[in-house]
Amino acid sequence: MRILLAEDEHVLADQIKSVLKSEGRVVDIAGDGVEAQFLGETEPYDLIILDIGLPQRDGLTVLKSWRANGIETPVLILTARDGWSDRVDGLDAGGDDYLTKPFHMPELSARIRAMIRRQSGRANPVFCKDNVSFDSRNNQVMVGGMPASLTSQEIAVLSYLFHNSGRLVSRTELSEHIYQYDGDRDSNTIAVFVNRLRKKLGNDLIETVRGRGYVIKAAA
Amino acid sequence: MTSLRARAVASGILWAVLTAVIGLYGLASFLDRQTDQRFNELLRNRHTQVVVAVANYRQSTADILRSVGEPAYQQPFSGQYWQIESDEGQISVSPSLVDTLLPMAGTPTGGVIISDYVGPGGEQLRGAQEWLTLDDGTNLHVQVASSLLSLQLDRQILRNNLILAFGLVTLVAIGGALLQATAVLRPLNVLRRDVLARWEAEDGLSAEDYPIEVAPLVTDINNLMDRNREIVSRSRRQAADLAHAIKTPSAIVRNELEKLRHQGVPVTESINALDRLDAQLKRSFARMRADGGDGSMRVFTDVGTSLDRMIRAFTALAANDNKTLSSEIAPGLRARIDQSDFEEVVGNLLDNALKWANSRVHLIAVRDGQNIQVIIEDDGPGIPDDDMDTATLSGQRLDTSKPGTGLGLAIAADLAHAYGGKVSLGKSRDLPGLCATFQLKASGAPS
Repeated sequence: MRILLAEDEHVLADQIKSVLKSEGRVVDIAGDGVEAQFLGETEPYDLIILDIGLPQRDGLTVLKSWRANGIETPVLILTARDGWSDRVDGLDAGGDDYLTKPFHMPELSARIRAMIRRQSGRANPVFCKDNVSFDSRNNQVMVGGMPASLTSQEIAVLSYLFHNSGRLVSRTELSEHIYQYDGDRDSNTIAVFVNRLRKKLGNDLIETVRGRGYVIKAAA
Repeated sequence: MTSLRARAVASGILWAVLTAVIGLYGLASFLDRQTDQRFNELLRNRHTQVVVAVANYRQSTADILRSVGEPAYQQPFSGQYWQIESDEGQISVSPSLVDTLLPMAGTPTGGVIISDYVGPGGEQLRGAQEWLTLDDGTNLHVQVASSLLSLQLDRQILRNNLILAFGLVTLVAIGGALLQATAVLRPLNVLRRDVLARWEAEDGLSAEDYPIEVAPLVTDINNLMDRNREIVSRSRRQAADLAHAIKTPSAIVRNELEKLRHQGVPVTESINALDRLDAQLKRSFARMRADGGDGSMRVFTDVGTSLDRMIRAFTALAANDNKTLSSEIAPGLRARIDQSDFEEVVGNLLDNALKWANSRVHLIAVRDGQNIQVIIEDDGPGIPDDDMDTATLSGQRLDTSKPGTGLGLAIAADLAHAYGGKVSLGKSRDLPGLCATFQLKASGAPS
């Protein structure tokens, strides 16, 4: 899952990125409104964390611009302005949720998980398919009731396929959602990750549609 | 005395009474003198009549009486008398003296002498007396007297009429003073209404619409109100900037502490201290906001417009938790409160209701006389009766199972109070949970 974090305070941005990375997310950071708007319009993010008080172009303007251009990516507004008028301004401009500073990092993580889950149309944070389960709250994968050990990139691929279960996901799309903006996007490595997942979780979990991509069918 | 109207009326009445008293005293004195002079003139004429009669009919009292022709001289103790003495001691008097005499003649002097004395039966008299020398060389003392009773009666009647007339004049003058005060103060009353209207509608006051004496005041009021708005607005901006400047570093510190805690470093005390710091900051900023509320800047909020956008936003938030938010908002509601403050109160109440609701929150906005009521009900567990009064006190967290600072209801109550409104809690009538009622003054309601 790839997230855009638009935050001008680089220490806080690094802290958030560190936590999200540990949860298997891929995070791009935008330090000002102009960069945030550009990345949001050009990259396929699964979620955007947007600080309202950005330099060069304020967060509300950026958010309105995205919505006006048809960008429907869920946006979590991060703001130091805790007045309800400001929060309603943000939600009215197209925000999906808000969090006021100072916040507890576990709450930020929980909000992000809930928003991504809602985006995939699921209420349950635990995805199940046959004897494999994936708990999106702690990225724990169980096979036949036993925990499986996966790398962060393997978890990223599995998480994206589970959140989009029932839908064919191309290698390009997968690479766009598991690599950073400035990362080396080699879609061939995707095949390597999928093969490793099959070895660890069984061959039936992820199906390959030749020449088109991968799909996890009808996860519960 | 601080009332201009009272000052104007009191000074008007004082001036009217003073004028009336001085006028009454002056006019009464003048008329008294005039009456006195007329009385003396009449007395002199009577004396002359008697002198002429004596000169012609010196030997006969009856002839003198007939010559004078005044019936009052024949009526006993009528108040009109004459008395004639010769230098030989012979005395003749008018029949009206009966068997009494006027004071006897003194040393001969020239001319007619007028003097007051006591006559028959203690009657107050004014007499005119003169020593005459007739052609035959006889010296006679001719004395005429009139009772002062008629003079005193005339004076009394005159004074009564004057007092009545001046009383009426005084009343008219007092009425005039009241009318004058009303007319003079009318522009100030109009100005007061206009200032109130401007606070609500933010329309400017035009100095040209007022008398030249009031126009500078209108200009000053305009400047003062603009300045007031600037101060409040700037204070709020500064508070928001300060909040932003503090909260981001606070978030950074919190994250570092949490990281250390995960690494096994004992930082619980530090995290607790940071919690207290954040709560205190939140409380202080809310207090600053409430202190800048009513009085300094009276504006209005279109309740329907404001609630519509809040309902939109909160409906989305409610949907995140699979809860529903419904509303009934009466049309045309306008409240005397800054819009962001109105939304702060309603936002805190809605947030609290959605936090505790099982599945449903309902908002009603209605006008109740001079007030507007925003009622928010939920189907949550509600609050025990014993805790209703303390739930809106600062930092009262009745249940710590949900995240929060326990400040939301207190902030809402403080802010409502700053605008002369209130937040009250009770049991929901239609839903099983809590009912929070935000009551505030409607636009146009008296302060």
